[in-house]
Amino acid sequence: MIEVQKLLKTFHDRKRGEVAAVQDVSFVCQPGKVFGLLGRNGAGKTTTLRMLATILVPTSGTAKVAGHDIIQEPAAVRRAIGYLSGETKLYDRLTGRELLEYFGALASMGSSAIAARIEELRGPFGLSDFLDKRVGKMSTGMKQRLSISRVVFHDPQVLIFDEPTAGLDVIGARAVLSLIQDLKKKGRTVIYSTHIMTEAERICDEIAIIERGRILAQGTVGSLLQRANQNSLEDVFVEVVGSVDSDR
Amino acid sequence: MTVKTLAVFRKEVIDTLRDGRSIFAIFVFPFLLYPAMLLFISWMHMKEAEEAKALEVRVGVVGGATLPFLADSLAAISGVTPVPLDAPPASMENAGVNAVLVVPAGILESIARGDSARVQLLYKEADNKSSAAAGRVEPILDQVREALTVSWAQSHGAHTDAPPRLVVEMKDISLKSETGRYVAALLIPFLLMIMVAAGAMQTAIDATAGEKERSTLETLLATSASRTEILLGKCAAVLAAAITGAVTGVTGLWFTFAVVAKAFPTMSSPFELTIGPDKLIWLFLTLVPTAVFLTAVLVAIGCFARSMREGQTYATYVYMVATFLGLGSLGQQTPPLSRFFIPLLNTALLQREILTNSVQMLHAVAAVGVTTAAAAFMLTIAVRLFSNESVLFRT
Repeated sequence: MIEVQKLLKTFHDRKRGEVAAVQDVSFVCQPGKVFGLLGRNGAGKTTTLRMLATILVPTSGTAKVAGHDIIQEPAAVRRAIGYLSGETKLYDRLTGRELLEYFGALASMGSSAIAARIEELRGPFGLSDFLDKRVGKMSTGMKQRLSISRVVFHDPQVLIFDEPTAGLDVIGARAVLSLIQDLKKKGRTVIYSTHIMTEAERICDEIAIIERGRILAQGTVGSLLQRANQNSLEDVFVEVVGSVDSDR
Repeated sequence: MTVKTLAVFRKEVIDTLRDGRSIFAIFVFPFLLYPAMLLFISWMHMKEAEEAKALEVRVGVVGGATLPFLADSLAAISGVTPVPLDAPPASMENAGVNAVLVVPAGILESIARGDSARVQLLYKEADNKSSAAAGRVEPILDQVREALTVSWAQSHGAHTDAPPRLVVEMKDISLKSETGRYVAALLIPFLLMIMVAAGAMQTAIDATAGEKERSTLETLLATSASRTEILLGKCAAVLAAAITGAVTGVTGLWFTFAVVAKAFPTMSSPFELTIGPDKLIWLFLTLVPTAVFLTAVLVAIGCFARSMREGQTYATYVYMVATFLGLGSLGQQTPPLSRFFIPLLNTALLQREILTNSVQMLHAVAAVGVTTAAAAFMLTIAVRLFSNESVLFRT
């Protein structure tokens, strides 16, 4: 479970002074559900998720991830999460096996547990073809399967996906979405950021539309459509975000 | 050069010129660093000269009665105490002198007969004090040469066409092993410094700025490992690279002198480079704090740098500073205690003392203590930089 309470994150900008990237953001994400953060580039999605992953420290407000406070117990939070960002890459000079062993060790897994987990994931993720190949020599598809294996390797309760389909082709993106649905079925808590409306519509149980660091609308896909009296999530999004643009 | 090539060139120049830190590193830093290095070297040289001048030396004189002016001339040189001796000593150390001027008995009669004669100034190039003593006495040799020539001329009247061959010379009587030890003391600390810095440089920047540039850092920071754990792991890898660089370098030196030189007798060396295992162990132990210090400095730079290019630029300057401070081992004199408070330089000086069997406990404590403290301080800085959010977002 993820409970976010009034998160604020400001950065210092030489020209503009203190700039709020995220302000007054609150939401709850239940186990077995996928919570979508929908927003344009620079809206504050990544900053929010980085705070939940304890990579950034909030300026004020807090959140509990799997029962652990992100400020008081960052190490416990990181133990409970799997984090995948579309922007991040893998170590080209390691083999697939070495990479999984590395992240397994960082998750405090013993060598026998790591070996067992690799065997467990080998079939479902089709790792056999490239497990002992260097990442730099792998195809994009192989890298993506390896990335997903890495995220679920230590069997985290909470999964944080920051635009995980960025740069992927249709097949790759579909594989990621399929994984998320599997995780949801297993009762994991999933938070997912995207700016692709069709993805959000397809997998999210609840959605928050974020713009300029603030959540402007929140609810199930159905309730958002109903409230805005629109036929598609894209129309809802344009209407909500457009209202802020016209206010400027 | 095509238009497209020029366009690429122009873009790269603009790209570089708009990077403030690159501008500083390329255009400003050299105007600060190089003068500082020049001043440092000049200061070292001046201090060396002053120290050599201030050195008190004892010069043995054999056959001084033959040339009565010798005692007065030697005594007139500042810091030189002439010591009359009956014969050249078997050991200058045991005789308590730093150099010996030998005027053979009956030399005036010999040259009067037209025989060749030899006056020698015995000293040890491999011994700093002996070498300084010889340098101090050397001008007297001209007076000796002149006195002998006058004596010969007087014994033959004013007309002569074949003066005897007079050899007035300085002779290095260092053993091959002593010279080897001296060469080792000059070169090995300096080379070790270069090898450690070179070994650490690439790994440090690659593991920090490189990780950020390759977009793998964010994933790492989201694992349950703490920032300190991650940074110390990286430091350990850099340290291993640095130590490996030094060990490989020393092994290469040993291979060159102990194996290659012996396998080819025609390459006979004027010295024997023999370093016992005890000295190797002490060299290694004194090198570790320095390697940790350099590792921490380079890792901190890697954490601070916005890109690999920026990190490598700064690291190159650290390498140059390390090289120049390593040059401290090339000095001749026993350095004052204050120099053992300068990191890197202190290690080079301490290692020189180890190799010449002249370790002073206070020097060793100061060198190891200061370097360890500096390493701990720089590690703290590196941890702070790595723990800062900007380690990921400063681009």
